[in-house]
Amino acid sequence: MKQEAVGRKNPPRPPFSKWGLGGIIMLLASCFALLTSCQFRVPKDPFTFIDSIPADPDSLNPIISIDSMQTGINRLIYESLIKLDNTTLKPRPLLAKSWMISKDHLQYTFYLRNDVFWHDGMKFMADDVLYTFEQIRNPNVDAAAARVDLQMVDKFEKLDDYTVRFTFKKPDYKGILFVGMIRIIPKHVFDNGSDFNSHPAGRYPVGTGPYRFVEWRTGKHIILERNESYWGERPDIKRVVHKIISDSNATFQVLKKGELDVGTLRPIQWARQADTKEFNSRFNKHEYYLPICTFIGWNLERPFFKDRRVRTALTHLINREGIKKKMTLGKSKVLTSCFDINDPEYNNNIQPYPYNPEYAKRLLTEAGWVDHNGDGILDKDGVSFQFALLYGGGDAASTRMLTIIREDLEHAGIVMDIQGLEGATLYQQVIERKFGALISGWVNTPNSDPYQIWHSSQINGGSNFIGFSNKEFDELLIKARQEFDDNKRIAMYHRMQEILHEEQPYTFLFAPASLVAIDKRFSNVKVYPRGISMIEWIVKQ
Amino acid sequence: MPTFIGITLITFFVIHLAPGDPVALKAQTGKSTISTQVSKTIVEETRKLYGLDKPPHVQYGLWLKRLVTLDFGESFKDHRPVLKKIAETLPITLTLNILTIIIIYIISVPIGIFSALNPKSGLDKLITLSLFILYSLPAFWVASILIVFLGGGDYLNWFPIVGVVSDGASSLPWYGFVGNVMWHLVLPVVCLTYGGFAFLSRFARASMLEVIRQDYIRTARAKGLSEWKVIGKHGLRNAIIPLLTLMGTLLPALLGGSVIIEQIFSIPGMGRLSFESVLARDYPTIMAIAAIDAFLTLISILLVDIMYVVVDPRITFEKG
Repeated sequence: MKQEAVGRKNPPRPPFSKWGLGGIIMLLASCFALLTSCQFRVPKDPFTFIDSIPADPDSLNPIISIDSMQTGINRLIYESLIKLDNTTLKPRPLLAKSWMISKDHLQYTFYLRNDVFWHDGMKFMADDVLYTFEQIRNPNVDAAAARVDLQMVDKFEKLDDYTVRFTFKKPDYKGILFVGMIRIIPKHVFDNGSDFNSHPAGRYPVGTGPYRFVEWRTGKHIILERNESYWGERPDIKRVVHKIISDSNATFQVLKKGELDVGTLRPIQWARQADTKEFNSRFNKHEYYLPICTFIGWNLERPFFKDRRVRTALTHLINREGIKKKMTLGKSKVLTSCFDINDPEYNNNIQPYPYNPEYAKRLLTEAGWVDHNGDGILDKDGVSFQFALLYGGGDAASTRMLTIIREDLEHAGIVMDIQGLEGATLYQQVIERKFGALISGWVNTPNSDPYQIWHSSQINGGSNFIGFSNKEFDELLIKARQEFDDNKRIAMYHRMQEILHEEQPYTFLFAPASLVAIDKRFSNVKVYPRGISMIEWIVKQ
Repeated sequence: MPTFIGITLITFFVIHLAPGDPVALKAQTGKSTISTQVSKTIVEETRKLYGLDKPPHVQYGLWLKRLVTLDFGESFKDHRPVLKKIAETLPITLTLNILTIIIIYIISVPIGIFSALNPKSGLDKLITLSLFILYSLPAFWVASILIVFLGGGDYLNWFPIVGVVSDGASSLPWYGFVGNVMWHLVLPVVCLTYGGFAFLSRFARASMLEVIRQDYIRTARAKGLSEWKVIGKHGLRNAIIPLLTLMGTLLPALLGGSVIIEQIFSIPGMGRLSFESVLARDYPTIMAIAAIDAFLTLISILLVDIMYVVVDPRITFEKG
């Protein structure tokens, strides 16, 4: 106390801190002036298309890399034997100019184009195709995911330099997609004695596609350039830059700054921040449903979820239309199954169950779930209706949605704990079937097969982790695989969806809409069931 | 050395005990569904490929053996040498964090001393209050606000918000290049520093308050020394010793602390690398980062010890 009194009477001058503070401010100010004056802006070339990706791909080797970033880039560099038609989703020729299918649907013979060259000038031939498939089969190659798909192929062989033949173990209408959609890599580049997994060509890809690889700066960008000697029709856009921007808010701001040509928006951004005059004058906005299905899966092993009436009641307790309006501002669609909503396979005749808590309560009572002991929680045979729902913890949207659902269930006397887990941990719990319920999603790819999700053989260790087992459904799954008549097969898939609707093993949630803003200087922008394709865009001068 | 082995051993077992399996992840991600029987053999093959089929203690032994030759192995994720991945990211994170530490010290030590010399004055209270307000603002929130208002397309567009350098900046003269990097670093560094001011300046204030109550300060004043000499020479040199101890703990904390900022500003640094590696269960990369972090921490503790000798003549390494 005494010291302080002295200090107050005779305040010591703080000499250096005074000029120190002033000096710092001066220094910062001059730094700022210097820095803002040397801004470096690259003049914009209208033929350069700038896109963003959230992270570096693992590798640009299409055989071993499995992330979504690589798909978007390799689509431009590499090509496969066939492609899917944008509108009809039927196979169309690409590297194979035609193909023949044997009567028993076991042998597929592909006739390759003989006018295709790799980006380094070498000729594309049957050996490249064989080499690609040999690598997928090779246990030393880190291609676990692709190898699983190739299990149904018995053998592949070269008939001559421009003909290859695949023999299947069993007929499967998707067989042509399993082999035809795999991206072909150049044998002469990869087969030089160095290890395949860490091969430098994984970072300097050489393909046959409309764009050539130019540069990959880790954490910064990947640049491609138009392949001027492309065998097919050359695209109008000359240069493609994939900027790596890891934060979605930053991405949106960069888009607004005019440094990106395309951006995917969240519903809230779409409705509020992107609805300004300036934004609309610079961007065209497109909207389409993604081939994604989100759902809540009920673990059918648990006593309360065993009963179909209980599951139906749960679906009636969840206000899906309300959640859709609140969470996505209407930018999504309520589903009745996990088939792709853009596909003819999706059964549009089934109407989603409405939100109806009264009806749900009746169903629960009917199933014997009543609050016998008066603790506010439904119970039956001494088991109270209480379970934990798992979800990917980083997902803020799920957290908000689940809070709404939890409250709705609570009013009906059902206790749902929500547990957010990190991805890899969640995956392990689910595969070991240690969960009550789960919120998750499936992505429909051209060769995804509902067999893995619903067939009873896939219960332990497979994708049917909820334990769904239905005899008619199992039979339909196997029959549909081998049905090559489109109409008959679609009819089977429609029947399967009726069964799903009756059984409600999942409460199907939404197909989210993709909300895309594209710079107005591009024309011929078309929206297809599987999204947009920049290859066909034309630059307005 | 034993400390180092201890740290890496614990890290090794923690990551192997954590739920989630890199091989299963690899076999399933990118595929829409999981198929059962067929994939089992493939999972086994991949496990062998990664060297995960051996018992954990053997795996750790092999890892240590390779470490002696500075071979950190190959990343599970992209099959590039781990050392190369770290060499790409470490300089960026170090630049960011060393700049941050320097700025924190430059700003908060004078503030702390100023407060110590004017204790309980109105200005002292104001400084304390504002520093604590800064301290309690979460960095990710401040980062988002800065991005929208200072780097976005709607308000002021002063600063870049992505990465550490512009495209084509390598064609600039060296001062232009450095300037370009600095310009990129303004917002991330602001986000990393402001939270550190409160802690360090309070610390400096307490330390200085203690020192100016000592007899030798009174003696110095009594001798008629100028205030500048009293505080600058006799006060500061004694007050700064505890602050140096803090520096030893600050560097490792900042290496970890820049994960969020690196993610938000798309800076390809160690923080983002370690975050992505943990999500992918990329064991070789996680282990290498842990080893390097441990090494850096030990080095910074050593550096602090050396700096004691520089600032405090009473401390020496010689026996006596």
